[in-house]
Amino acid sequence: MTAVQAALSGALIGGLYALMAAGLSVTWGTLRVINLAHFGLILVGAYLSYQLTSAWGIDPMLTLLVSAPALFVVGAGLQWAYDRFNIVEFNSLLVSFGLLMIIIEVSTQVWTADFRHIDAGANPYGTSALHLGPIALPVSRLVALGFALLLMGGGHLVLERTFAGRGLRAFAQDRTVAASFGIDHRRLGLVVGGLAGVSAAVAGMVFALGNTIAPAHAYEWFGTVFAVVILGGIGNLLGSLFAGLGVGAFSAVVAVLWDPSYEPFVLFLAIILALVLRPQGLFTRRAAA
Amino acid sequence: MLEVRGVDARYGDAQALWDVALDVGAAETVCIVGPNGAGKTTLVQTIAGLHRAAAGTITVAGVDVATLPGHRVCDHGVATVPEGRRVFGHMSVRDNLLLGAYRRPARAVHRETEARVYELFPRLKERSGQQAGSLSGGEQQMLALGRALMALPRLLLLDEPSLGLAPVIVDEVFDAIAAVNATGVSVLLVEQDVERALSAASRGYLLIEGRIVASGTTSELRSSADVRERVLGM
Repeated sequence: MTAVQAALSGALIGGLYALMAAGLSVTWGTLRVINLAHFGLILVGAYLSYQLTSAWGIDPMLTLLVSAPALFVVGAGLQWAYDRFNIVEFNSLLVSFGLLMIIIEVSTQVWTADFRHIDAGANPYGTSALHLGPIALPVSRLVALGFALLLMGGGHLVLERTFAGRGLRAFAQDRTVAASFGIDHRRLGLVVGGLAGVSAAVAGMVFALGNTIAPAHAYEWFGTVFAVVILGGIGNLLGSLFAGLGVGAFSAVVAVLWDPSYEPFVLFLAIILALVLRPQGLFTRRAAA
Repeated sequence: MLEVRGVDARYGDAQALWDVALDVGAAETVCIVGPNGAGKTTLVQTIAGLHRAAAGTITVAGVDVATLPGHRVCDHGVATVPEGRRVFGHMSVRDNLLLGAYRRPARAVHRETEARVYELFPRLKERSGQQAGSLSGGEQQMLALGRALMALPRLLLLDEPSLGLAPVIVDEVFDAIAAVNATGVSVLLVEQDVERALSAASRGYLLIEGRIVASGTTSELRSSADVRERVLGM
């Protein structure tokens, strides 16, 4: 029973990893920008939700009305700058790592390195849980899963079924030919960068619901979220969703049945094995080139 | 339909085209022949707006497109079938076609155009759900042509459509090009297979080392000493 409980609550934490991975995966897969600053945007999103809830006493979810548009603008602005200076792939990894450090430093100046959390009185999701027989599911994590299903399922449909989505996928494969059919990568890039910012606002808000916030968290997300992006297949939103749930459940089961200190070791060993067997990611169909 | 005047193209310090001038009339098929490395692909890419002309004007239906950004040239009715086909291998056949109809005017009628493309290439309909990368070379060439037709072109640029294909498939592709041309679409055809190019087109240009050195009707070109020596090897 402990294993079942662990797998379920782990999968729910995985919903949060998946949300964090969504923006990273899409900008990497379609625009070839590996935007580590995304972790900084998630951090800022978490702090904004914390700050606005504390200042106005509103429901934490309502803070998205402010943080989502704000981070849309920041995400679009970042993408504009990456495009303007032609920063992609390996360069973007370096530049955005620098940006991430700056964001973390500024956050430390503004909110200090102390742990912050949304006041229990203002957070209706923080401590309550849904009980299914002997199994307890924390509401804050169910919210994470709900948002992950909504955003990533919706994003997947947009990529697969709409003209803009096809344009993005085509652009990811062959920029020149895509341009010859009228795809304006600058405009699409601004929208995608902005939406990645919105996903960061949501991931940050959801993180703040169930966790304490400190600037150093942005570094801690790195390993797991990268693993989720790569396992899911870069640019594949549904893949990231499944990979997030799987990684969350797997780590939690290892922690319960074995020892929490082995969790990173076993997790990354499993990821390396998975990538050796399926280098294109677990959930990517690959056609013969 | 297309007027190219005084076009130069360079890659850094290396100049690839010198003072190129050519015309393609309404509903005409015109070919460009020349040996390997003559600048044929550069010329197609420059007209399509994918390589910026260093000098000169490229007028499509009265509008100079030489200075437009690459993604704006198709607004004036230009569609390209690039060398090596370059279909989107990780997308389905149908998604490749729909991508061709990305621009709003084409989007509005994409169902009708898709049906016409399937009539022209029934094989694409059979494979519409398949990943484009899994198609044979001939099917990919049909897909590249179909994708261009989805954009409702008035001028079709074809770069080496016969490259790497079996002769029987090449026949099929050239029949389709003739059928498209018969609907009033102008065609500029770049082709290494000089015999095929000359029999598909009504007029042609000989491009050598980045310069147009001869032009005329295809029968004039066939008898020209330059063409016989330098591209037919006779």
